[in-house]
Amino acid sequence: MTGGPWVDVAFWTFSAAAAVTGWRVFRTDSMVRASYFLLASFVNVGAIVLLLTAQYLGFAIIFMMGVEMTVMAVFMVMFMMNPGGLMPMSMVHQPRVAALGGVALGGGVAAVALASTFPSRPVGDATGLTAELGVELLGDSMLIFESAGVTLLAAMIAAVVLSSRRGRYGEGDEGSAPPALDPEETG
Amino acid sequence: MTGTWAGLGLSAAVVLGGAVLVAALESAAGAIVAGTRPSLVQPVRRVALLLVQERTSTERPDAPLRFLAPALYLSMAAVGAALLPLDRDLVAAAPSAGVVVWGAVESVVVVAVFLQGWSPNSALPLLGGYRFIAMGLSLVLISMFVLIGVALPAESLALPEIVAAQESLWNVARQPLGLPLFLLVAMGAAFWGPLNLADGPDLATGTSADSSGSRRLAWSLSRAAILTTFAAMGTTAFLGGWLGPVLPGPAWFAVKTGGLLVLLVVVGHLVGRVRPETVVRRIWTVLLPLAFLDLAQAGVVAL
Repeated sequence: MTGGPWVDVAFWTFSAAAAVTGWRVFRTDSMVRASYFLLASFVNVGAIVLLLTAQYLGFAIIFMMGVEMTVMAVFMVMFMMNPGGLMPMSMVHQPRVAALGGVALGGGVAAVALASTFPSRPVGDATGLTAELGVELLGDSMLIFESAGVTLLAAMIAAVVLSSRRGRYGEGDEGSAPPALDPEETG
Repeated sequence: MTGTWAGLGLSAAVVLGGAVLVAALESAAGAIVAGTRPSLVQPVRRVALLLVQERTSTERPDAPLRFLAPALYLSMAAVGAALLPLDRDLVAAAPSAGVVVWGAVESVVVVAVFLQGWSPNSALPLLGGYRFIAMGLSLVLISMFVLIGVALPAESLALPEIVAAQESLWNVARQPLGLPLFLLVAMGAAFWGPLNLADGPDLATGTSADSSGSRRLAWSLSRAAILTTFAAMGTTAFLGGWLGPVLPGPAWFAVKTGGLLVLLVVVGHLVGRVRPETVVRRIWTVLLPLAFLDLAQAGVVAL
């Protein structure tokens, strides 16, 4: 993509949106809202990657994050300590330590970005970049990506097996009773 | 890119015209199944009723998301339609990674339907939303496998090239498993007929249960638009898109997409709704292996 004022405008707009939605993740009061604020942040990062003409990577970020944030929302609600995770709650743990750590890390990354000199190479067309990515994934970096892929697959199968109702010893919920609808009965 | 603006206009026509067509087909099919005379006035009357109907409210809903969910769902139909070539050189957007953009559309569809269920802060819509996640995330996998299958003969992820590669033989003949699997994905994305887990009567219309008036209308229209866009994607990926003799390209595109829509609506009326557990189990134990088989076969043929 040829540079120009509109690319700059788009870059700063997406950057600001990514930062603001990222900040909202910690200021909201629900796991589902936090997940989707994070998704909005990632979508904006994906849009910035698209500005670099890395079409495959940019759209893949949006694609993957849409799925991942949905899974994250479901799992967080599922494992929440309050009933169903449906009560408003704070999204931060140890806010002081986290704030200090965040400032230190963010400052470090910003310092690296400001201190280093970046190569100024005009990027080619998107089709060429997608092909280069494919060669990289299945060439030099094949071992890394394949081992990561197989590890993730094993984790997925393990998660399905652990959460399956039917197991080697029969139904997982055999002998258990569903919780009473009337809270008086449970007491 | 030539034809960007014409392509954009025609994509909007696909989405809106398709939604109207689905409403008409749905009402006609419903009347035929019920043994009454199909009427063209009935859908118009229903739209008018929804426009003047009061919008119900729930206790402490998430108001912005309640508004955004149907908008997100409809805009995904529009983004999807903008990718589809209506003729040679007549496409609104032709990204080189078109199939990946389509994948992003599908993943945001799951988000939109879940948020429609979550945002009213009400039990039955929430259950519909959760059910849709279970089905939707599973179907995204099926969809990606069959779409990578059609990218193989074209040696490209760009949709115009996928259509162009079908000049000699349509993908429906080259990869016979692809189209049926993709039509199931289409049905799932619009939670249609047998795969209507999100809006089923057992949940008192689930994700729609607390939507009335214009909100309900927006949701139903978005759903019809999604069904149309997915049928149009089926045309593009498997039925040769705009390819065909005598008639101009866009006409062939419309005829094929209309045919798939009729099929989807009729199946929706003839096949009963399947239980959520059964749907998810069958997707993972039957459809996913079939999608693997489809991809393997596509790969062997492409080699």
